[in-house]
Amino acid sequence: MPDGRGARVDLTVLCAAAVEAARGDEAIEAYAEESRRTQVTARRGEVEGLTFAESRGIGVRLLVGGRLGYAYVADPELDEVREAVARARENAALATEDEHNVLPEASVAEPIASLFRESQASIGADRKVALALDLERLATSSDPRVTKVEQAQYGDAVSRVAIASTGGVAAEYARTDCWCAVVALAEQEDETQTGFSFRVGREIGELDWADVASEAVERGVRLLGATKPPSARVPVVLDPFAGSSFLGVLAGALSAEAVQKGRSPFAGLEGERVGSQVLTLVDDGRLLAGPAAAPFDDEGVPTERTQLISAGTLTGFLHNSYTAHRAGTRSTGNARRAGYRSVPGVGTSNFFVPAGAASVDELLALADGGVLIQDVSGVHSGANPISGEFSVGATGLRISGGALAEPLREMTIASTLPEMLGAVVAVARDLRFFTSVGVPTILVGEMTVAGR
Amino acid sequence: MLDRDLVLDVLRAARVRGGDFAELFVEERSSVQVRLDDGKIEELTSGVDRGAGVRVARGTSFGYAFSNRLDRVALLEAAAAAAASVGDEGPGSVVDLRTLEPPVLHRAERPAGTLPAAQKVQWLREVDDVARSFSPHVRQVVAAYGDSVQRVLIATSDGRWVEEERPRVRLFVTVVAARDGVIQTGLHGPAGLAGAEFFDRHPPARTAEVAARRAVTMLDAAPAPAGETTVVLAPGMGGVLFHEACGHPLEADIVEKEASVYAGKVGERVASRLVNGVDDATVPNAWGSFSFDDEGMPARRTLMFEEGVLRGWLTDRIRAAKLGQPSSGNGRRQSYAHPPIPRMTNTYILNGTSKAEDVLSSTERGVYVTALAGGQTNPATGDFVFGVSEGFLIEHGQVTTPVRGANLIGRAIEVMSAVDAVADDFDTWEGTCGKDGQGVPVGSGSPTLRIARITVGGTGA
Repeated sequence: MPDGRGARVDLTVLCAAAVEAARGDEAIEAYAEESRRTQVTARRGEVEGLTFAESRGIGVRLLVGGRLGYAYVADPELDEVREAVARARENAALATEDEHNVLPEASVAEPIASLFRESQASIGADRKVALALDLERLATSSDPRVTKVEQAQYGDAVSRVAIASTGGVAAEYARTDCWCAVVALAEQEDETQTGFSFRVGREIGELDWADVASEAVERGVRLLGATKPPSARVPVVLDPFAGSSFLGVLAGALSAEAVQKGRSPFAGLEGERVGSQVLTLVDDGRLLAGPAAAPFDDEGVPTERTQLISAGTLTGFLHNSYTAHRAGTRSTGNARRAGYRSVPGVGTSNFFVPAGAASVDELLALADGGVLIQDVSGVHSGANPISGEFSVGATGLRISGGALAEPLREMTIASTLPEMLGAVVAVARDLRFFTSVGVPTILVGEMTVAGR
Repeated sequence: MLDRDLVLDVLRAARVRGGDFAELFVEERSSVQVRLDDGKIEELTSGVDRGAGVRVARGTSFGYAFSNRLDRVALLEAAAAAAASVGDEGPGSVVDLRTLEPPVLHRAERPAGTLPAAQKVQWLREVDDVARSFSPHVRQVVAAYGDSVQRVLIATSDGRWVEEERPRVRLFVTVVAARDGVIQTGLHGPAGLAGAEFFDRHPPARTAEVAARRAVTMLDAAPAPAGETTVVLAPGMGGVLFHEACGHPLEADIVEKEASVYAGKVGERVASRLVNGVDDATVPNAWGSFSFDDEGMPARRTLMFEEGVLRGWLTDRIRAAKLGQPSSGNGRRQSYAHPPIPRMTNTYILNGTSKAEDVLSSTERGVYVTALAGGQTNPATGDFVFGVSEGFLIEHGQVTTPVRGANLIGRAIEVMSAVDAVADDFDTWEGTCGKDGQGVPVGSGSPTLRIARITVGGTGA
């Protein structure tokens, strides 16, 4: 628990003060959070940066006659919470009436065991500093071509969330998170390549940092000598790093908010085939192994497992209370906010492609003459989540005789989301999570790879 | 915001174990956001944020601690936490604090915070009407209005006391057009370090029209051809490319990490001699401007490229000290919750002497890029990629069919060396630049310019 100091008003008390300020037929929801974060960056054997952070705040959502107003305030006293309610009330008066603006009913969310680790919450800064230094040392001592890193970092957060509403919601949870990341610089003559690796966990002991260091080194070194390939249509294998970028775009397209606003290529396709038979896509807010695990979503609705694509068929969308009311269905527990400063929208929890049966080698054997994509760039600018078209920059390796061969750079891959989903040939069993998105290595059939 | 005695006590506590300098950054920010979507004012949010961060620097290392409490106890605790990161060298000194006069002011003539919220709602309704009446193919309009006032106080152990009020306004319009199953999006989002007078010069109706025209034009787009070709960038767009491909590798933290493609190249030709580039925080009321950077250094104009020759880096205090030069005033942070790092402000390629119409008419074949969707660059290699959100084919000197799904991919030095024409029709483009998890407002700008050869990624033949 962020210990705060005794003088601070508890989050649940702040939330209760907001809810008690409701007048007449107003509905009020208060979302409060507090966190304590540490981040250590190591470079050249020294601590480059050490950051300690404490923050807390509350956001007030006020509904009256279907009109929504919002206000927030950082680290408030009780009178400032009441002022925030007054500002939310003023804002609601100018908003457009919308019958689907509703607060969820109270329901009991089962706690998720071991989301919060006392041992992690009490780790001293010294151990975190040692980890970051060790991470950098490991990354720069295994291969003569990697003598420095762009970044070697350890970070963690201890956080707590509380929600209360006039509808009877009153819930809270605490969690611990930690992560480490390395960007290794591989050099050979005039050439430099970067290799990235990353792990997340609930406590420090779950981070295999030796593995993170060696993976970053390998991913950088194997790109040395990369050339630009000729343009061609070839089989493409997306490794989990590359695949996770595409999943980010898919996440937006599978939200009911995007569907209802006419911004999803999947609108109206429920029950229809949208991908190949080997493709399944799931959102599961209760998966402890997933970094986004939480007992309830950002408006207090219990999280659950939602099957979005089942063996190629579109089986559902992600909903919060608003989109569920509008669609005449129930919330899937996918209300998400960027923190207390924002109104809840729709977002993913742990969003992933479940592991398949094949090994990565089996996928490579099926993709002779193709390319393994290890990194894509420009997905956010190069992909259109509405039309589903994308064209992104990529680096990777040629696949030759079932094995990884020469490195490739400065290529672009272009397709559309529906086309790519339909072309998935096989899914490997190496599922891993990147922040809240998880994906194994995937073999896509042919795609246009543009180079020279 | 805080009295000087308390600030002095905090700085002394931060220097209790030495280090090169200590700094206190205090911020209060009030903001209003109004969002129209699907014809409805679906969100009005007003917020109050505040907090303070204490930094202790030693060499290129630092300790940073922040809290959103501004009382004495919390500030002294933050100072102690930041101080713990440096080895014990014994207490360092704190010089008397002197108030610095700003080199340039960016005043709001009519502070947006004083306008009734009903006026902001009215602008968004106007945007919705204008965009929808632009074409029957317009399906969705999203308009987001935001204003904020950030008040900062920066005090440092070497005697700086800086106070600044930064008013910001922005209107961002997204229009979706659809016809026969084809869906396209158009964006436009002018922004300024100014008050409501900004909208006299950038009327909401015109912003709506630009976004709507972009979306509707792209309905007729054909898949972009893939391969190497000539690209002409419309005014402003060259600045976006310059920001990503050249600006980031010139940020001194990247250079200091030996992760810059430009390392060791100061004084060398790294671009066509037609390219003159600056980073300029003094441009009056521009989105990326300020009076002082977030370390309390005065706003400056820094020469980056002079006739294609690399002239210098964009530095914060820590990196400038390491390089043995004064800070270029590029130490910026998203908020009190972030330590400052070298960042761009307004990054411009300056006007040349060509005429835009001549540049286009003398291009036999190529792609004319009128809007970029943003991009990404690897500063170590100079590799970059940009999505093209609005582009056209150039055929025999004429701008013809719109193209979709294109992106530009290349390497900074090669591409900037391939610039063979720079026109005199400078314009700007405003955005939010992300780096190390921090977003800051930045401006880009350029006249029309042409790149003789660059790889275009696309799905067409």
